[in-house]
Amino acid sequence: MAAGTISPFYPARRLRNKIWMSLSVVAAAIGLIGLFMIIVVLFWQGFSGLSPAVFTQMTPPPGSSGGLLNAIVGSLILTVVGVLVGAPLGLLAGTYLAEYGRHTRLASVVRFINDILLSAPSIVIGLFIYEVVVVPMGHFSAIAGCLALAVLVVPVVLRTTEDMLNLVPNTLREAGAALGMPRSLVIRRISYRAAKAGLVTGVLLAVARISGETAPLLFTALNNQFWSTSLTQPISSLPVVIFQFALSPYKEWQQLAWTGALIITLAVLALSIFARALAARGAHQ
Amino acid sequence: MAEIAIRGGTTHPHSVARAARIRRLALSDAFFRRLTQAAAIIVLLILGGVILSLIDGSLPAFQKFGVAFFVNQVWNPVTKKFGALAPIYGTVVTSAIAMLIAVPLGIGIAVFLTELCPPALRRPIGIAIELLAGIPSIIYGIWGLFIFAPFLQQYAQPAIIAAFGNVPVLSALFAGPPYGIGMLTASLILAIMVLPFVASISRDVFGAVPPMLKESAYGIGCTTWEVVRNVVIPFARVGVIGGVMLGLGRALGETMAVTFVIGNAHKISPSLFAPGTTISATIANEFTEAVGDLYTSALIALGLILFMITFVVLAIARIMLMRLEAQAGR
Amino acid sequence: MNTAVNFNQSAANSKVLVRGLDFYYGATRALKDVSLSLYDGEVTAFIGPSGCGKSTLLRVLNRMYDLYPGQRAEGEVLLDGENILAPDLDLNLLRSRVGMVFQKPTPFPMTIYENIAFGVRLYEKLSKSEMDQRVESALRRAALWTEVKDKLKASGLSLSGGQQQRLCIARTVAIKPEVILLDEPASALDPISTAKIEELIDELSGDYTIAIVTHNMQQAARVSRYTAFMYLGEMVEFDETDRIFTSPRDKRAQDYVTGRFG
Repeated sequence: MAAGTISPFYPARRLRNKIWMSLSVVAAAIGLIGLFMIIVVLFWQGFSGLSPAVFTQMTPPPGSSGGLLNAIVGSLILTVVGVLVGAPLGLLAGTYLAEYGRHTRLASVVRFINDILLSAPSIVIGLFIYEVVVVPMGHFSAIAGCLALAVLVVPVVLRTTEDMLNLVPNTLREAGAALGMPRSLVIRRISYRAAKAGLVTGVLLAVARISGETAPLLFTALNNQFWSTSLTQPISSLPVVIFQFALSPYKEWQQLAWTGALIITLAVLALSIFARALAARGAHQ
Repeated sequence: MAEIAIRGGTTHPHSVARAARIRRLALSDAFFRRLTQAAAIIVLLILGGVILSLIDGSLPAFQKFGVAFFVNQVWNPVTKKFGALAPIYGTVVTSAIAMLIAVPLGIGIAVFLTELCPPALRRPIGIAIELLAGIPSIIYGIWGLFIFAPFLQQYAQPAIIAAFGNVPVLSALFAGPPYGIGMLTASLILAIMVLPFVASISRDVFGAVPPMLKESAYGIGCTTWEVVRNVVIPFARVGVIGGVMLGLGRALGETMAVTFVIGNAHKISPSLFAPGTTISATIANEFTEAVGDLYTSALIALGLILFMITFVVLAIARIMLMRLEAQAGR
Repeated sequence: MNTAVNFNQSAANSKVLVRGLDFYYGATRALKDVSLSLYDGEVTAFIGPSGCGKSTLLRVLNRMYDLYPGQRAEGEVLLDGENILAPDLDLNLLRSRVGMVFQKPTPFPMTIYENIAFGVRLYEKLSKSEMDQRVESALRRAALWTEVKDKLKASGLSLSGGQQQRLCIARTVAIKPEVILLDEPASALDPISTAKIEELIDELSGDYTIAIVTHNMQQAARVSRYTAFMYLGEMVEFDETDRIFTSPRDKRAQDYVTGRFG
């Protein structure tokens, strides 16, 4: 090909480039604008129902107005207890995978199992808890809901724990061992401290994940019209209330559903942003 | 370890106390190790428990209906005849359509972010997509119910019916009154829900392509599209497929995004505008109302089937990934 | 001012003529008023300590920096008399005339055959036998044919480092460029592969105008006819290689080639 001559293919290649690049811009526009619109609508609808009453009054009977207090409190209880049960379990198991059992058979099996649990449909987890907790107990309860959420928390925390601990350089561990520290102290005092930001991020991400989960609560914690903080009774929760209210024909209930959705979204976004900020700070240290 | 520490210097004034402390530490050390091992085993037991309880709960239904459960469309709580065909069909079809839409769009967004987007916008948009991926699916559900479905019913569906009304095959696909809710609506909402997930993962793997490799392709005069198609996508192939499979797993198991808008009809129709159901939507809608052991067992059987489907999808993804990585000679 | 630069400023037999080139990474000026010539069919080496701008200069010659906003060049770079820094210049065409081989081997994720055929297909439509011939001649030119002729369908990544780099060279010559830019092509390779690459450069010169960035002075002395010594973004001395290594004019060049600093 002599200098300066343009190959006959070139115009076609340029055109193809323009077409495909334009398509990708269009895809980005559709995707981003579409998602943006959903957020805008959510905020619009949710905010119009936002008032102090939402945080001070209980869920109302059909046709009357009220608030979401019991649902909010219920969600808080379910989430907190779920994380309290699931996170330590995930943390310890992840520690085993990363520190003690790195090349053992048990570790690879657990890793594989964890991937399955991570992607298992959350409604199936709900069925599992129904069978092993609700049926023997004879009734729905908050603790069943907490356990269902805990089962969802474990795989997330296990995964991030293992990943974060694997990032800790071995030289740090060797330095601890060289001082005569027993293995468990090396892990607790050195590995955990070094990976602290990442570990906390993992827990926060798990919390964000379960905050919006509805399906596993539908037949474990069920729902409760009234105020309840007892773990052995059914308990209200924002996602389940939204589910019930949205499908109803009552205007007040539908409005509360939007507002509840907004509250959940804000909580999840806040958690995610906080987790990111922590991870970024941890990386810089 | 404790013995070695003691041997070399019993005359040292600290050594006796030190030896005792090391002995104590050894106990808690072993305890901690056992504790983490127990936690790992518990994770195993959880999965075992899930599978066992699902099997146990679904046994009555399988014993009653046998293999016919998989191919029977009838779902009648009154006559106590249950068949899983409609939910299985709904699950598979809505997920397939959702992925057909979400994957090209997601890859398109990833290409845009890594190749075309002005650098200043890259991080904000990337973060926005990741945050969107974390929004609970129930949000998409109510948005679908209150905003999207009415919109489809008023504008889009009549337009499509008018456009394809006389086209031979397509008219059957879009037949029936425009309800607004139905299989197509559910598929679209599922697509919207999976999109940030696929885009985010694709963006990560595209961004990991070494710049030197891309420069090599530019260096022989490739256009941006040629670089993406022949270098970036093949290089990132493994990661993208992994992401797609994870997205598919999510779509299959998704409950809240589809329950509101799928119409909850245990029927299979050729038309996408018709109402249908998915496994998770069926369970979500009917479980608390289920009367009688057989009904409950049938629902749990559905849950087992769903679990198996997602398990198979994940297993296939793993095998594909292992094969691809071996092929690439890495 | 280039006090120790010795070359004919006319475009007579300069394939590439650089005049008063400034280069900026954002606000930082990385190249200061650089001028030199790449003579037709000759090998020119760019040497200098780390950070002197030799790679930056090389990457201007095929406008690779254009991929990265915030990097810009000012001045003139004439390829056969045409200024390639012009904003409306077609970059893909430029890069079909000025090829580049990188520091680390970068085979595409394709078969060995495809790695080469891919580039050719961008510009020519060849029948299967014609393409086979082109692939073979490119691999022969890169001294790789005998080693891979039985495994053309194998992945490019299955070759050793030295072989991969020769594959990249074959890929570059297959599209028949006029100028070849080499950015420390042997720095990631073992000595035997390095020797093979240097032999290759020698064979290719004559047919191609070659510029090679190297931090290895002995390599520069072995392969190049002309050498440009750069320091802190300036073209300090540009002359025939023999002259630079035996009697450099500038003190900084002298200190560098005698190993006083590196």
